[in-house]
Amino acid sequence: MIDLEQIYTELRKFWDRLWSERNIRLLLFMATIFTIIIIFLIGLFVFMESIPTYTSGVFWETLTQLDWSPSYKHYGVLPLIFSSILVVGIALAIATPLGILSAVFITEFAPKKLRDLLESLLELLAAIPSVIYGFMGLIYLVPAIANTFGLSSGRTALAGGLVLAIMVLPTISSISTEMMRYVPQAYREVALALGATKWQTARSVVIPTARSGIVAAIILAFGRAIGETVAVLFVCGASGSFPAFPFIFEPVFPLTAVIAMYMGESVVGGELYSVLFYLGVILFLISIGINLLADYFVHKAKEKMEVGVVL
Amino acid sequence: MNLIRKKRRITQDLIVGILLGIPPLVLIGILLYLLSTIIITGFSYLEPQKLFMSIIDGGYLEAILGTILLLVGGILFALPPAMATAIYLSEYASRSSRIVRAVELAINTLASIPSIVLGLFGLALFVKIMGFGISLISGWLTLSIMVLPILTRSIEEALKMVPREFREVAISLGASRWQATTDIVLPAAGPGIITGIVLGLLRVAGETAAILFTACVLTAVGIPISPLQPVISLTYYLFVLLFTSPDPTYSRAFTVASILLLIIIILDIALVVLRRLYRGHVRVYL
Repeated sequence: MIDLEQIYTELRKFWDRLWSERNIRLLLFMATIFTIIIIFLIGLFVFMESIPTYTSGVFWETLTQLDWSPSYKHYGVLPLIFSSILVVGIALAIATPLGILSAVFITEFAPKKLRDLLESLLELLAAIPSVIYGFMGLIYLVPAIANTFGLSSGRTALAGGLVLAIMVLPTISSISTEMMRYVPQAYREVALALGATKWQTARSVVIPTARSGIVAAIILAFGRAIGETVAVLFVCGASGSFPAFPFIFEPVFPLTAVIAMYMGESVVGGELYSVLFYLGVILFLISIGINLLADYFVHKAKEKMEVGVVL
Repeated sequence: MNLIRKKRRITQDLIVGILLGIPPLVLIGILLYLLSTIIITGFSYLEPQKLFMSIIDGGYLEAILGTILLLVGGILFALPPAMATAIYLSEYASRSSRIVRAVELAINTLASIPSIVLGLFGLALFVKIMGFGISLISGWLTLSIMVLPILTRSIEEALKMVPREFREVAISLGASRWQATTDIVLPAAGPGIITGIVLGLLRVAGETAAILFTACVLTAVGIPISPLQPVISLTYYLFVLLFTSPDPTYSRAFTVASILLLIIIILDIALVVLRRLYRGHVRVYL
């Protein structure tokens, strides 16, 4: 005769022991470590698929050839990297001043209602899918650029830069806003008491104090923009050769757009396939580097302002 | 004399304030105008019964269904590890430990990896090596890695908002740390956690690059019955329509974009409302 009750109590004991405080802690800790492991896994698997590029000698061709056209087996990555940096550069040139000034407006000038409205609208813009930005760029911006500058096609580096500028504006302005809020109120009060206007206070006290934080915002925006895929794909023109000077009215082909466009026609394990993963490795390394740099500046900013509070 | 100077300062502040406020407000105004144009145009092309018809018959059913399936699954897969990490960071680990610093850096790093690279990772690991093929499940796993940092960070934030006294009282009454967490901290942080989940949903709903190679195929028509089948999402469908639209008016693209925007706007309103409620919620406790 089996004693069901005893089995139940035994099981119960076992169950309680299994969920002891120590085991729970261990389980939670393992989940936490998983976040670190996953980054290594991403790097590892993307790299593994790109290995044929290095072993077959294609790697040197990617650095020496000056155009990207896989149908002719031309895998030059330099024009692609140049395109990415060009488009992101245009975007940051526009979004940085606009974003910082918006942050100044939000933290120093705007009445509370307007500030809340502006912040939630910027958040809404950040939530708009990138494919929608690509669509808007394609139907509104591309024809507008073609008409304004008398080009045969508006799909240019400028179009990509403008779309990205709008997409990273919320990033720059929200991080800058947060960093400016960290600036101790006493700093502002001192400046105002000395007879400075609000603008003078913002320019010579708030912005310099929050400088490291603003730099971090720009770096993070750079990372976001360089990894953006779908929005730039439709508006940049997809030309795999180096754009002619002065660059901005020429079609370009950012790294991300190349991966999205060619993966469909590549054969799994083939030459193009591994080169596309190699582009992925480049993007992965860029994003890691960007993030470490941004992290450094964020901590510098926070340290500076915490010291400020003590003083 | 002093009064005049003070007056001049106030007008100067006002003028500079207005000058600073105009550019962002005008820009946002233009964007909102364009977005509403898309929505209005999109819905003017839409015959309502087509929402429930297959893409083959000129409908949008698969795309809507695919987006919902990817949303739900992506979040569900990411939620357990995100919860566990957030609980560990906020309740168990000591704030200054080196491991916390490392994990926090890792979360930020994961958040900064471009989604197209995550798509490549999903293609290599889930689609190829694990053999799931281009399927719903590959998409779920890839998307869950993508939202993991957002979920973890916002849940951790929500847990940290719970006043420390709550835990101290529970533990002084003899509760274990885990009991204090499940019975006291998590319920108190509930609205904040839900806010984080909505934030994650917003991110997943608009994603294209991560599911491009892992979950979506244009031939995936009909209702998916197994997680090993590929799907079509609104974002993917819009992507394909922009790529290969034979129609210069983009009428279908407008409609797909407007359905997608409607979902995003609903989620965004939910986010704003939740934040309002949550702020009120906290005030009650403090």
